[in-house]
Amino acid sequence: MTDFPTFDDNHGGHDFGEDADVVLPTDPEFDAWIAAAAPALNVPPTTPRLDMWDAIQAAQQTSSAAQAGSIAGVTSLRRPRWLMPVLIAAALLIGVGIDRYAIRTTPEPRVTNPQAVASTPTQPRAGAARDSTDPSGLYRLAAVQTLTQAEALLTAYRANDVATRNPAAARQLGTWGREVLSSTRLLLDSPAGDDPTLRPLLNDIELVLVQIIRLSGAPLDSSERVLIDGAMRERALLPRIRSAVPAGVASAASDE
Amino acid sequence: METDNTLQRERAPHLADQRALVERARRGDASAHRALYDAHVDRIYRLTFRMTGRDDLARELTQDTFVRAFAGMQGFRGDAAFGTWLHTIAVSVTLNELKRRKREHARQAPLEEALTISRSAPLSDPVLRDRLMKAVDALPEGCRTVFMMHDAEGFTHEEIAAALGVTPGTSKAQLSRGRAKLRVALAEFAEEWKP
Repeated sequence: MTDFPTFDDNHGGHDFGEDADVVLPTDPEFDAWIAAAAPALNVPPTTPRLDMWDAIQAAQQTSSAAQAGSIAGVTSLRRPRWLMPVLIAAALLIGVGIDRYAIRTTPEPRVTNPQAVASTPTQPRAGAARDSTDPSGLYRLAAVQTLTQAEALLTAYRANDVATRNPAAARQLGTWGREVLSSTRLLLDSPAGDDPTLRPLLNDIELVLVQIIRLSGAPLDSSERVLIDGAMRERALLPRIRSAVPAGVASAASDE
Repeated sequence: METDNTLQRERAPHLADQRALVERARRGDASAHRALYDAHVDRIYRLTFRMTGRDDLARELTQDTFVRAFAGMQGFRGDAAFGTWLHTIAVSVTLNELKRRKREHARQAPLEEALTISRSAPLSDPVLRDRLMKAVDALPEGCRTVFMMHDAEGFTHEEIAAALGVTPGTSKAQLSRGRAKLRVALAEFAEEWKP
């Protein structure tokens, strides 16, 4: 990354005309004449240094006052650093809460065959864990949702070699990656992050997501792909995610 | 013109000093802001004036450039010279402002009317001056920027390339194209440059 934006062509996003790549004949005599004439175009006067410095200082002071919230009617745009993670965590928990509510209010499938009722196992159903009000169960559910998203993202990345050469598709992948990364980091900071089997997996997912996001500003070249592919392979990321997400739960989580 | 630029370059602090200034400015040191402003304001104002031809606009854009730069110091990673970074901001805010003004038809005088030409040779013919103003204004935006930066203000192709986010080769090619288009537009004045 540099201090400057990168572009997908050699025009830097500027308009050089529709025939920008057409080579036009040159005339050294005209070139010499125009080079001598051009400095007479828009000749700047003496720089009004002090006036401009005063205006810059005034603008800086106004900006500082606005950010500090000391100008009546102007709301500060500067938020405490902790606010955004807390808001994301709250949104995640509200989502889980709605999820729980929806599961509870979904009517049980009507069983018309009494024999089927008789043969219904008395053991808890696969989804019974979801009915638990234990907070760790909620975190587990959030983890399943995040792992499902991560699996879908990594599968899309791996399957779509062409997309990563396309800047727009690479950016889209990066945006998606950021969303999943936010959830992953929240999970790492939550009690789910204390899970000895889940934590290493989330750490590895975080690492690969960061690589994908970091390189999403520009089309990935083959060496960058090799780097990410290698990280995914060495960590057996997809197989581990798939084994961590119980079959059937993933699709249910992603549907909700 | 070259003399002016040379003087301004000499006025700019050396790289090591500049890094120290940038670091202090990042921490909000007002004297560092002032030192960076003093070192670079001439070139930024001259550039914005060359591109707009108006003092009020050039002042506004120069101020905007420095306000944005100082506010975004945390985002300046120091990969490039601070001056190059400022030029990038200046070109960007200037082109955006010119586009905005064109879109909104807010400015009564179009760009070509804002262009001012000194009466020094070789532009003593008022008809030729007028045609040159119109021809420069008719150049595609990127082409016009390269032409004004290089031929009018004396930027090198490397400096233009860094400010516009293109390669030096693209800058050279676009300057050549810009000059060729101007030559076609001014064809009836060919005796001016033919020996």
